[in-house]
Amino acid sequence: MNENDNETETVTIDLTRTLLRDGPKFLSHKAVVMGDIAFLRPTITAMLFCVIYIVVGIFLMSLATYQLLVLSKYDFAIFLGGFGIAICTFGISLIQPFLSRVSFDRKTGVFNNHKDRDVKLKNIISLQINNKVIQRKHALNYACYELNLLTEHGRRINILNHNDQQQLLQDAELLGSFLGVEVNDCRREIVL
Amino acid sequence: MYKEINMIKTRKFMPLFLLAFSTTALAEEMSEFGQAVDSLSKSVDGFFSDYTGWFVSLIFKSVPIGEASFPLIVGWLLVAALIFTIYFGFVQFKRVGLAINIIKGKYTDPNSKEEGEVSHFQALTTALSGTVGLGNIAGVGVALAIGGPGATFWMILCGLLGMASKFCECTLGVKYRTILPSGVVSGGPMYYLSQGLSEKGLGGLGKILAIGFALMCILATLGAGNMFQANQAHAMLTYAFDVPSEYGVITGIVLASLVFSVIVGGMPSIASVTERIVPWMAALYVGMALIVIVSNIDQVGPAFASIVEGAFTGAGVVGGFIGALIQGLKRATFSNEAGVGSAAIAHSAVKTKEPVTEGLVSLLEPFIDTVVICTMTALVIIIAGLNVAPFDGNGLTGVTLTAASFTETAGVFKYLLALAVIMFAFSTMISWSYYGLKAWTYLFGEGKSTEFIFKVLFCLFVVLGATIQFGAVIDFSDAALFAMSIFNIIGLYFLMPIVKKELHSFIARIKSGEIKTYDTK
Repeated sequence: MNENDNETETVTIDLTRTLLRDGPKFLSHKAVVMGDIAFLRPTITAMLFCVIYIVVGIFLMSLATYQLLVLSKYDFAIFLGGFGIAICTFGISLIQPFLSRVSFDRKTGVFNNHKDRDVKLKNIISLQINNKVIQRKHALNYACYELNLLTEHGRRINILNHNDQQQLLQDAELLGSFLGVEVNDCRREIVL
Repeated sequence: MYKEINMIKTRKFMPLFLLAFSTTALAEEMSEFGQAVDSLSKSVDGFFSDYTGWFVSLIFKSVPIGEASFPLIVGWLLVAALIFTIYFGFVQFKRVGLAINIIKGKYTDPNSKEEGEVSHFQALTTALSGTVGLGNIAGVGVALAIGGPGATFWMILCGLLGMASKFCECTLGVKYRTILPSGVVSGGPMYYLSQGLSEKGLGGLGKILAIGFALMCILATLGAGNMFQANQAHAMLTYAFDVPSEYGVITGIVLASLVFSVIVGGMPSIASVTERIVPWMAALYVGMALIVIVSNIDQVGPAFASIVEGAFTGAGVVGGFIGALIQGLKRATFSNEAGVGSAAIAHSAVKTKEPVTEGLVSLLEPFIDTVVICTMTALVIIIAGLNVAPFDGNGLTGVTLTAASFTETAGVFKYLLALAVIMFAFSTMISWSYYGLKAWTYLFGEGKSTEFIFKVLFCLFVVLGATIQFGAVIDFSDAALFAMSIFNIIGLYFLMPIVKKELHSFIARIKSGEIKTYDTK
């Protein structure tokens, strides 16, 4: 029998680590509490920026149709259509996460973000605020913040991810008191 | 029963009837729209030429040398690059090995790398994918159309000398950067001019130079980093797909919408997508150029001969060899931005404790950008043989000349080039919008409303750039970009001893073993 089998394995969870590599340079969601439900409401500006892609994509596809049917310019129609489809699909993929509501429901006792396996609210033991610097290849870097939850089983799940620090701090406090868990400020100094 | 079948048929063909009707109506609308846009283009072009002409004349003030008018600003950049080359002891030749070792990670502890940290190699590939752009495609097209094949020689020379300028400014960019508590980095000439000169007791001069630089940086952002890109993107569409030039406004609006969503919205995804696509576009461009060169390998020798001959005779060029030299130097600077100061803004964000390492890495950029890639473009143009004397710019020029030259080898290249040009134009606009924004906030302070004004202005200029004619755009773009170098280089002269000290200290610490070396195999 292996000696190690008798030892208790210790796993340390680094709460200062961010969960997502990327993040937007704007306020994407605000936390709202209504009775027994707390949910994340996407901001209108965030939605509008996604809609731009859909509108541009549809416009390019319309132009491609015009080129194809009226002017019989097949090469340009394919070029425009390709761009249009790509941009429109991109816009749809961007807006989709905003359309599904992330919620904490005290009646059902479940946190549902439509991505990860549902988490029972009683299993959530704390929330953490993390910071990171997003580095862009073709632009200058900017600060971004995450609000993550930790379950008693050691799972960490992202709740909020945007660059409005003040709003994120407010939302963390709101969700923390709604869930009755502590909020840990795990922001750290990032040395570049 | 018969009626039902008819109804079904009618329902089936109804959308087609509607589509046919709507497209015919659309065709009429488009015709009227075309006329309106054409008149708008002309008025904007006239307005633009009238109101920026004085600025262009001021920046390109020339002195007669032989038959040619030599712009003082070109001499200013050339002399500066020469001085930096001599002052740093030919750093671009002697320290290439050191630069390559830094990129390979010889002086970086492989175990100390933090999550998300950008290595020097990543930083270089990043910078290169950002550097390879319309300067390499359209800029070379302009240089050869006006300066003949000989302009290539002077471009190469400018690239080699410019390496020293870039080394100097990028080292200072990192050394004097400001890191905010949030981790956001602000760096570039505005900071090293004001802080660096202040340390030397020349705070007043530093402030003036920093403000002057920031002003010119904003103009260059709107010109070279914006209008030129949009203009050439539409020119490429015109060449590849016969899109009428008056429809530039549509190209402009589409590009401006996408740029708006990125710079105003800060959408992370589109920026990430662009970051991933652009290096592939750069690889695609280099690959196409290599195919043309390899498939015409027998013509490479004569092409180089015409480059060398044209450089000293200037045959067919207005102003002879001086004319070729001017065009070569102008377009090389436009492409590699050495001495201009813009690269220092981008490089200041790198994670390093040794500013000089970033300077050494950055000196490879003008080499790859100008000496390698611009030369490849020039070879493609010369091999195609579409650019013939007299080189007065009245024939094919800019991106059109380059695209036509590529198409001589394979027709499909024009479509691939169109794709690459649009992606390059878009990514360059995004990069420059941040340079401009940094200069804007330096002058007017940070704040949501002031930043929003700049961003909206930037998007408006995208539409303008795609709408107005080439001559006015390129003149303004050039003037604004070169104007940045006036303020930047004055500061570099004062601050170059600091860079020299940093370089010597770094080398001494490597020799003493204070800076450890790691196995990179």
